[in-house]
Amino acid sequence: MSDVSVSPNPLKRALGRVNWGYLWYQLKQSPLTLGGGAIVLTVLLLVIFAPVFATHDPNAIDLRARLTAPSLTHFFGTDEVGRDIYSRILYGGRQSVAVGFFVVIVAGLSGTLIGAFAGLIGGRVDTVIMRLMDVVLSVPSLVLIMALAAALGPSLINAAIAIALVRVPVYVRLARGQTLLIREMSFVTAAETFKASRLHILRWHILPNILSPVMVQATLDLGSTILLASALSFIGLGAQQPTAEWGAMVATGRNYILDQWWYSAFPGFAILITATAFNLLGDGIRDILDPKQKAR
Amino acid sequence: MKISQWFQVVGAATVTVGMAIHAPVALADSDSDLLVVAKAADPQTLDPAQTMDNNDWTVTYPLYQRLVRYDVSEDGKGLTSVVGELASSWTASADGTVWTFDLASGNAFSDGAAVDAAAVEYSFNRLMDLGRGPSEAFPGGMKVEASGEMQVTFTLEQPFAPFLYTLANNGAGIVNPAVEGKGGDHGTEWLSGNSAGSGAYMLTGWERGQSLVLEPNPHYGGAAPSIEKVRVDIIAEAAARRLKLEAGDVHIAESLPVDQLDALDGAAGIEVQNYPSLKVTYLYLNNKIAPLDNVDVRRAISNAVDYQGIIDGILDGNGVQMRGPIPEGMWGQNKAAIQYSYDLDAAKKALSMVGGTSEEITFLYSGRDPLWEPIAIATQAYLSQLGLNVKLEKLANATMRERFDTGEFGIATGNWSPDFADPYMFTNYWFDSKRHGLAGNRSWYTNDKVDGLLQKAVVSSDPAERTALYGELQEIVTDEAAYVYLFQKDYRIAVREDVAGFVFNPMLEDIFNFGSMSLSK
Amino acid sequence: MSFLNVIRRRLMFLVLVLFGVTVITFTISNLIPGDPARMIAGDRATPEIVQNIREDLGLDKPLPVQYFRYLEGVVQGDFGTSIRTRRPVLEDLRIFFPATLELALTALLFATALGIPLGVASAVWKDKPVDHLVRVIAVTGISTPAFWLGLLVILLFYGNLGWLPSGGRIDPSLEMPNRVTGFLMFDSLLAGDLAAFGSALKHILLPAFTLGFVHLGVVARQVRAAMLEELQQDYIRTAKANGLSRFKIVFTEALPNAMIPSITVLGLALGDLLYGAVLTETVFAWPGMGAYVVNSIQALDFPAVMGFTVVVSLAYVLINLAVDLIYMAVDPRIREVS
Repeated sequence: MSDVSVSPNPLKRALGRVNWGYLWYQLKQSPLTLGGGAIVLTVLLLVIFAPVFATHDPNAIDLRARLTAPSLTHFFGTDEVGRDIYSRILYGGRQSVAVGFFVVIVAGLSGTLIGAFAGLIGGRVDTVIMRLMDVVLSVPSLVLIMALAAALGPSLINAAIAIALVRVPVYVRLARGQTLLIREMSFVTAAETFKASRLHILRWHILPNILSPVMVQATLDLGSTILLASALSFIGLGAQQPTAEWGAMVATGRNYILDQWWYSAFPGFAILITATAFNLLGDGIRDILDPKQKAR
Repeated sequence: MKISQWFQVVGAATVTVGMAIHAPVALADSDSDLLVVAKAADPQTLDPAQTMDNNDWTVTYPLYQRLVRYDVSEDGKGLTSVVGELASSWTASADGTVWTFDLASGNAFSDGAAVDAAAVEYSFNRLMDLGRGPSEAFPGGMKVEASGEMQVTFTLEQPFAPFLYTLANNGAGIVNPAVEGKGGDHGTEWLSGNSAGSGAYMLTGWERGQSLVLEPNPHYGGAAPSIEKVRVDIIAEAAARRLKLEAGDVHIAESLPVDQLDALDGAAGIEVQNYPSLKVTYLYLNNKIAPLDNVDVRRAISNAVDYQGIIDGILDGNGVQMRGPIPEGMWGQNKAAIQYSYDLDAAKKALSMVGGTSEEITFLYSGRDPLWEPIAIATQAYLSQLGLNVKLEKLANATMRERFDTGEFGIATGNWSPDFADPYMFTNYWFDSKRHGLAGNRSWYTNDKVDGLLQKAVVSSDPAERTALYGELQEIVTDEAAYVYLFQKDYRIAVREDVAGFVFNPMLEDIFNFGSMSLSK
Repeated sequence: MSFLNVIRRRLMFLVLVLFGVTVITFTISNLIPGDPARMIAGDRATPEIVQNIREDLGLDKPLPVQYFRYLEGVVQGDFGTSIRTRRPVLEDLRIFFPATLELALTALLFATALGIPLGVASAVWKDKPVDHLVRVIAVTGISTPAFWLGLLVILLFYGNLGWLPSGGRIDPSLEMPNRVTGFLMFDSLLAGDLAAFGSALKHILLPAFTLGFVHLGVVARQVRAAMLEELQQDYIRTAKANGLSRFKIVFTEALPNAMIPSITVLGLALGDLLYGAVLTETVFAWPGMGAYVVNSIQALDFPAVMGFTVVVSLAYVLINLAVDLIYMAVDPRIREVS
């Protein structure tokens, strides 16, 4: 097996450092984390294989069967134009999970790179970048996201972009902070005396070492992004009809809450379960990867 | 502080709180003279020269009087003909350009000042000077002059057939000239939140987002109203409005969706009233852009919509399909004009004549009317059966209206109700090529022949001639499928059984005649 | 570093932030497609009328000019006039801000009143069932969509049980108490109006619960972590050796010290709550700034949106400053280090 520790790919090297056997042992110690992980896997399965698990076409309308109660044909009932809510929840899950991963990957990648760069280069550039990030962080994020989403046009992808933009500063700050710590370590100063280029240091020394707190943040962010995206759809700035999306379904169901409580209840429950699972998983991963921050 | 002392404090606080929660709610006055209306949204402005929103008119209409008012039939139905309110009589010149009104005496504003010709002249000059939405109903170049202490003369540049009826509009409310002294632009900032009229009621309180209070105008020239206080509560949730109605906390619950109304039908103490109205829902088809610029495509779309399915499913049967632009109940409707029906074969045939189309059609709607979304979703489903690619876009109302004006859309939903009882309301606005965009012709439709017909009809004063002109127009615009004429729905309102005297007028939707209503004990 | 220095630096930062905030919001607001003049003009307005309105509102000037006119106004305390309500934005904010503040503070009270005991219990009985239960509650709290929770509690407590109202701040049939602070509960107590107080209390229970539920978890976790840290310290061991009861140790020795780092979290929570109230206010029809800003965005009411952004950013930075100052005042170690 090739020596992973000298692989040029920072991700591979970071992953290579992990003792997978011990990791599994630690995971087994925490039932909550295992539970969270299991739920995450189930949700991902259901959502990726939605066409297999769905009972109806999520967009098939039936105006004469509106707002029917949960039954054997329609597990979660039908909505205001007769579409099957259960199938829409499955397909809707695709939207929510996709947005979650999109935001975390885009914001995480760009934020980490910018932050690491800022931390490494120091000086004026660093100060300017950080002040900029501070300003963005000071704008009430929900308002900023709403305004951005409204400006870009209401759609799920624009909502995802808006959320990603607002999350970047978090990763920048995190990456920079970690970079400042790592920068002082001997192996970096050693590399510097050998006139290693900044890019080289960044790639080989900084990034692999800051990856684990970033991963922790990313996993936690998955849960909160799903919440945020559904909140945006609730206000009407996210997914558009006829696309199924959990937050949008809760919003429409609101008009029928008294007599057809299932319409809002089930999609919201889906949000709750998914976000909880990601958060439990994230908590557990943090406890394992970063014992200093552990909630013990 | 010791633990025991702390517990004593907490205990005392709990007891106080418990008592407070169960303290009897002190109502402001006795139940029988207070009418409570539950409304979904706060009014924006109460200045008659500013407001174009029926939601505001619920409050403003009873606060002001107009030269004429809509008549009421013997059996208590609202009519579309007018009789005098502030005016006791009027005459028109032979060519219809000069109208002279004699004012009745005895009418006064809430501060005691008499309503005289000077006040009428002031109100109309203010209206036209401010130049907001309400002024648009009146012909440009209209001159208003007090030709006597109690006589006003209107001089129009051209005859305007519906002129008399426009005087019953909310915008034609007569405003107390004293608002001029409230500063700013004719006192409009002050009047947006206050009242200065001669109507049966005046505004005595407005807690934004919570409630408005109307109390009788002590100087009102007519009979003192039976209801001594009207309170309009702002309750955003439809379910909450319904529950309050059932509990007896409100007497009238506005804007209840179809499902809630059906659930209330037959409930104890509640009456769901149904009136045929002249409010229509239709789809704009942007005649300016492909593929909707092709008449066969529009005909195909018109045949692909399941009208009855929408009426049965979404309206629960409380509506009727339109036949052309003029609704049933309005004179001038051409009963022989084409009415499209759900005929998928005919639709496919019409589409095949064009050779199909792959362009994406954007369909705009907003949340302003809760029925629009199901209509949009259903229409998209119907059109996909034809192979048409429709993309739905739900926008903020303001954004959507902007797109109407720039013509950047394919299909959109719309509602329309008449300001006065004349086919002009449904024809000139919808088809005149001078009104492209937000002004009324939202399908961006252009047809010179139709323009000609419209011109002739507006200056003619002969109803028979106008009926013939409008009849011909309807044949053309249905054949050319300028719009998708969906339905005309009933006005349904849920009221408590002890509310008496409500007269519904199709010209005045969302407006209640508080001054002549009463609560039976 | 002395208090004054900290304050001075922060205030300079505040100015920078406000500038940045207004630029960002102004730019974005103007990117939102739609013309507010058209919205006011009404359904059937002709282009002339729309142009009239546009000129009235100053919307026909070039963007940078509009922005500087706005800044000029802000410095003098004039945040412009709301396009939607036709009133000065500052007046709108003055009416709606206390409502949101009252809700946020009540929610914070709820979150701390429950969160602190839960966090303490979780730390004291670490790894026992209580601990696991609290951790589940905490995670559920931060994973719950607030708008969904709000709908469900409305359904239960209003729809089914009829115990609590579904929206608004106070029963509309009651006279509003004289406005002293804008906090209904406070004002009604001052006026001695028990009925109004009761009604205001009933109306705030559900929204405060919904809003606070999320932060309950955050507070509990923070307290748990801080308590665990404290309980390991030497002075605790000393106290135990001296025979102090467990109860006394936890509440009179460890907890006060654990609260110090928690102050930061509470401060952040308040900031979060302020603009997190947006969703809750929408669901409960609470006439506060959250509902105001959502309506304003939908109505393309730029002055209102900017006013809201400036005020909340200001509040956020000031809260952070206050928290830091309190932290410095309470913990002498920080003062020394700074």
